[in-house]
Amino acid sequence: MAANYTTPLARAARIMEIVIPCYMFGKAWGIADAKTVDLFRAMFPAFLIDIAEFFKKIMQTDNANIQRFFSTMSGAIVGFVVVALLALVMHLVLRDRKYLDSLRFTSVSLIPIAVLNGTLSHAIKTLVENLGTQTADALYASTVSSSRGNILIDGTFYLTAMWMMGRRTGVSRGRRYGVIGVGIGFMVIYMALGLMISPGEWQALLPKLQQALANH
Amino acid sequence: MTITKQRFVTINKYALWAAIIVYLYGLFGTKIIQPGIFFAIAAGFFNLLHQKYFNARPRLAAHMWLIPAVIGAFTYPLLMEKQPSGQNAFYFILTLIISLIPYLLLVFGTTEEQPPKKERLKVISFRIFTQIAVFLIYAVFTAYSFIYGSNVALFFWGMFHVLTVAILPFLFGRVLCGWLCPNATLQDGLFKNMTYTRPIPKLPKAIEEQSHSTAMYLSGEVDKNAPYFPFTLLLSWFPMFFCETVFDLTGDLWYPIYFMYGLFIGSLLLPWRKMCTHFCWLSSYRGIAAHGSLWRIRYNKSKCKQCKVCQAEKACPFFIDICEQDNEMPATCCLCFSCMEACPFEGVITFKRAPEEKARVKAVGKAA
Repeated sequence: MAANYTTPLARAARIMEIVIPCYMFGKAWGIADAKTVDLFRAMFPAFLIDIAEFFKKIMQTDNANIQRFFSTMSGAIVGFVVVALLALVMHLVLRDRKYLDSLRFTSVSLIPIAVLNGTLSHAIKTLVENLGTQTADALYASTVSSSRGNILIDGTFYLTAMWMMGRRTGVSRGRRYGVIGVGIGFMVIYMALGLMISPGEWQALLPKLQQALANH
Repeated sequence: MTITKQRFVTINKYALWAAIIVYLYGLFGTKIIQPGIFFAIAAGFFNLLHQKYFNARPRLAAHMWLIPAVIGAFTYPLLMEKQPSGQNAFYFILTLIISLIPYLLLVFGTTEEQPPKKERLKVISFRIFTQIAVFLIYAVFTAYSFIYGSNVALFFWGMFHVLTVAILPFLFGRVLCGWLCPNATLQDGLFKNMTYTRPIPKLPKAIEEQSHSTAMYLSGEVDKNAPYFPFTLLLSWFPMFFCETVFDLTGDLWYPIYFMYGLFIGSLLLPWRKMCTHFCWLSSYRGIAAHGSLWRIRYNKSKCKQCKVCQAEKACPFFIDICEQDNEMPATCCLCFSCMEACPFEGVITFKRAPEEKARVKAVGKAA
């Protein structure tokens, strides 16, 4: 049966199934601008934003549109590296397919977290747009409560997606628990590294935001 | 007049075309839309999507065309009171013509068609209702935004995005393509029944074979190396997504409109649903998420008689070889339930996995 899957387009499809989720997963880390970079550093693990900012510095242009493209690409590169590392662990758990297919399994199952990253970056955009119309505390409360809800929903979808994908690609029940374990571990590490704005970070950010608002 | 199957389709098809043209002219030209036109669109879709049922009951179908006429008559005085103009009267008369011609043709027509033996599945009736409702919401919100300069269409697209990206693919897979997409509704109701020779009547073999089991994912334990989605479908995501990112288009009203009309035009060039199967930029990224969906339509292989009634070209809009599947539909399935309705046997294509199929899948899993 597997021999049937070696048509040129089928092979290319497998590559795309890695590229698209990785791009969507990482792009939120690269889209910060000078005004919002501190918020992004608070919302996501700061070192991921810093790495994306480093790539952005390498890819500089005066054209705002192309710069936007470079920004998302720099985030996507970081996203790809994170997925590739996670896929290494997944590959050790799955042990029944090529690394390329473990990577594909990892990236496709990460789509809920890609959606989560996109939603959190959108929450930052909304927060910046609403600065000045609501009190700082109300803004923080609404951002944090909506982020918590999203993490809960998308985290659940992530775990169920991994379970279902495992079942659909012939992963034995025992190993599927292992796969779920990797997923839970990833979420715990992601959150421990600084997903979501903590009260301490907000207190540190507030003067800067108010200053920016006053300048605006 | 004898209402044959073909004549029934033709009457409804042309009336629906006329309603859509009047809607578009009102949208882009005069900025006036008679509310009855929305119901004319709904009536056309309703009759065409239920054509097998209404073929044998043209008088019942005719009454669907009374609704736009009644709505038009009720809203006309209100519109004239608000904005007295000859154009309102013109659109009212157009609405009456569009709805009363098919009404009269169908109500006085006779038929020799027999109603289908198999009853329509409730889930398909519900799908058709959802399809028409979403299409109407799309049409109304778009019209409101264009005519009154409001951003309400962006609200529609925002909600559409939330449902189709963040929630539904993880629960029901590619349900967007079967239940929600306005282009899909247009294709199922109208483009499917268009008899002209398509400018691209056949796709190259390399593209075509992607939708079949030779090169695509099968449900079951055999396919850990198989691609989940056609390459061309995934590729089509890139140009649109990059344009969206580079030019920051998400907040622009014209963008989703042109995005959707681009799909309409693409769908006119290709045979029915080929655009959705191979090139749709809306469903590509959303589609991959379907691979991890919680629920799929079940295919109980152990009960299948291999009669091939459900085979790709006959029933499935996404050209899935259902008999080749292992125990459920693949990620490309849009949950339209056409296969379930087409299957002449009980318990082959179902909502729940049959106990014997469950045992078989378990045994295969253990062996693996």
